[in-house]
Amino acid sequence: MIDDALSTPALEGVHLARSFGVGETKTTVLHDVSLELFSGQITLLMGPSGSGKSTLLAILSGLLRPESGRVLALGQDMWALSDQDRERFRLRHCGFIFQGYNLFNALTARQQLEMVVRWGEGGSRSEARRRADDMLDLLGLSKKAHLRPTELSGGEKQRVAIGRALIKDPNFCFADEPTSALDWAHGEQVIELLRSAAHDRGATVLVVAHDSRIIEHVDRVVHMEDGRLRPQDEPEPLLHRMKEQG
Amino acid sequence: MESYSLATLWYERQRYLPGVLAVAFSALLIALQCGLLLGLFSITSIPIDHTSADVWMGAPRVLSVDLGEPISEGDLCRMGVQPEIERCEVYVQGFAYWSKPGGGRELCMVIGSRLSPDSLGKIDILTPAQCGLLGEEGAVLIDESDVGRMGIGGVGSVAEISGRQIRVVGLTKGLKSLAGPYVLCSVTTARKLFRQSEMQTTYVLGRCRHKEDAAKVVSHLREYKNVSAFTKSEFSRRTQMHWLTKTKAGAALGYAAALGLLVGAVVTSQTLYAATVASLREFAVLRALGIPRWRMALMVVSQSFWIGIIGIVLALPAVYTLKWAADHLMSVEINLPWWLQVGAAAVTLIMALASGLFALRSLRLIEPATLLR
Repeated sequence: MIDDALSTPALEGVHLARSFGVGETKTTVLHDVSLELFSGQITLLMGPSGSGKSTLLAILSGLLRPESGRVLALGQDMWALSDQDRERFRLRHCGFIFQGYNLFNALTARQQLEMVVRWGEGGSRSEARRRADDMLDLLGLSKKAHLRPTELSGGEKQRVAIGRALIKDPNFCFADEPTSALDWAHGEQVIELLRSAAHDRGATVLVVAHDSRIIEHVDRVVHMEDGRLRPQDEPEPLLHRMKEQG
Repeated sequence: MESYSLATLWYERQRYLPGVLAVAFSALLIALQCGLLLGLFSITSIPIDHTSADVWMGAPRVLSVDLGEPISEGDLCRMGVQPEIERCEVYVQGFAYWSKPGGGRELCMVIGSRLSPDSLGKIDILTPAQCGLLGEEGAVLIDESDVGRMGIGGVGSVAEISGRQIRVVGLTKGLKSLAGPYVLCSVTTARKLFRQSEMQTTYVLGRCRHKEDAAKVVSHLREYKNVSAFTKSEFSRRTQMHWLTKTKAGAALGYAAALGLLVGAVVTSQTLYAATVASLREFAVLRALGIPRWRMALMVVSQSFWIGIIGIVLALPAVYTLKWAADHLMSVEINLPWWLQVGAAAVTLIMALASGLFALRSLRLIEPATLLR
């Protein structure tokens, strides 16, 4: 089972390319990038600013259309789906954590999580509350459920944001600089939560970050420079990989 | 849905306050303008609505009760011969100039009616005692609110109408007027003031044995070319519509109400638009999570609904306070029947919802990929 999970990528980007602007201002930020991600693994995508890592995350997560290449997620070509079907795919399978917390100021920690269940899945009020409370318990925020973002610390806010991403138990979790606004103690907590999402829940977790202290907490590190993966990070041909696994 | 909308409205009440106030202002303006309009309407048709005649016969093509012209008293017979008519009588009404004792003139509306207890043209607020006083030639009644305007000291004062001396023998209470104050007197006095002969009258009023026969009588009377005839309700409506359309009073008030509505709509829409734009990043996260755009649209529209409701609730006491003030401090009639209040609330709520729908354009700005740049 584990072998299967490791031999078949849950998410695969194949020959992805993307540029921004037109004419003389056109800048290519992604050059023919291929990447495989496996369920139950937390992968760190590192690289200097402007190296294209956020663009790659946006394409892999179905938020930004590549100019060429394919994204295969759970066996489906994500960019061959209609906008509506891709939205449904994200609803069913994807969780996101962005730089900054992006929480609604007016809503309590519990309501931020309930909203995803009620609006996303059409869950009942009581079901949404139960799942929100379970998630807040897991995040160590039970006693803060009634507080609004202005009453929470930075680390607590980011944990709520993680709860919002994980409450629907997604197959994929994408995190863009989730620790950049936190001190290391809180940052470490956040990475451990993401690691637990991968190891305990079997999610495929992709984290984009600068902070090298994260490296020791992840299963795999992929480096990007100038819109390309470092050669050693490119996926090996499938046949070779199967041979190695015997 | 409502809990998130209401929680947001309450928590960010400073942000939404302009929208709520704009809605309240619109509701207030619509209710008061329409109430004023109804108040004005009811004043113009007082001589019809507050008398007991079922049928009014006057000069051809008469537009409104105050624009009657002399007709022959002989027309009384035309009314009298109708089998459905129980009794009929003359009624004199017209504009005249009131000369104030201290100088200056004021336009007034003279109404001369029979004064017997069963008179058809006697305005119903007149008491038997006042009717008795009006029996004296040259005796008139005016409303107590018009004493100052007519330049007299009160009961017993003497003034002139159309150069003829009149004496104020009493005061009515609550008889409001629009173009000129009502001056009530006997038919004899009115004829003297208008220099009408006994062969003339302004209207012939009739009472039917059965009220439902009024329309039948009117259709018979309309066969005569030199008179026009109306049922009580027809003439009342005709008078009010004349004032509404020909004088542009209704158009002016309606325009002001429409302007208030527009201001309310623009402010509410912009408030909602700005509030949504301020939460674009949060909405973008929800979009990234796959939550459909219509959920967010519903939240914005739901907020507009609650802004409408709160605005209307705030407007209600203000409307009643201003109605009271207009009534008691300025003697201005504002009619607020239940259907007008419900209508004003409905129009305001529709305006608020339309503002919410218009603010939805802000949701087009939601682009989850921007969170990753």
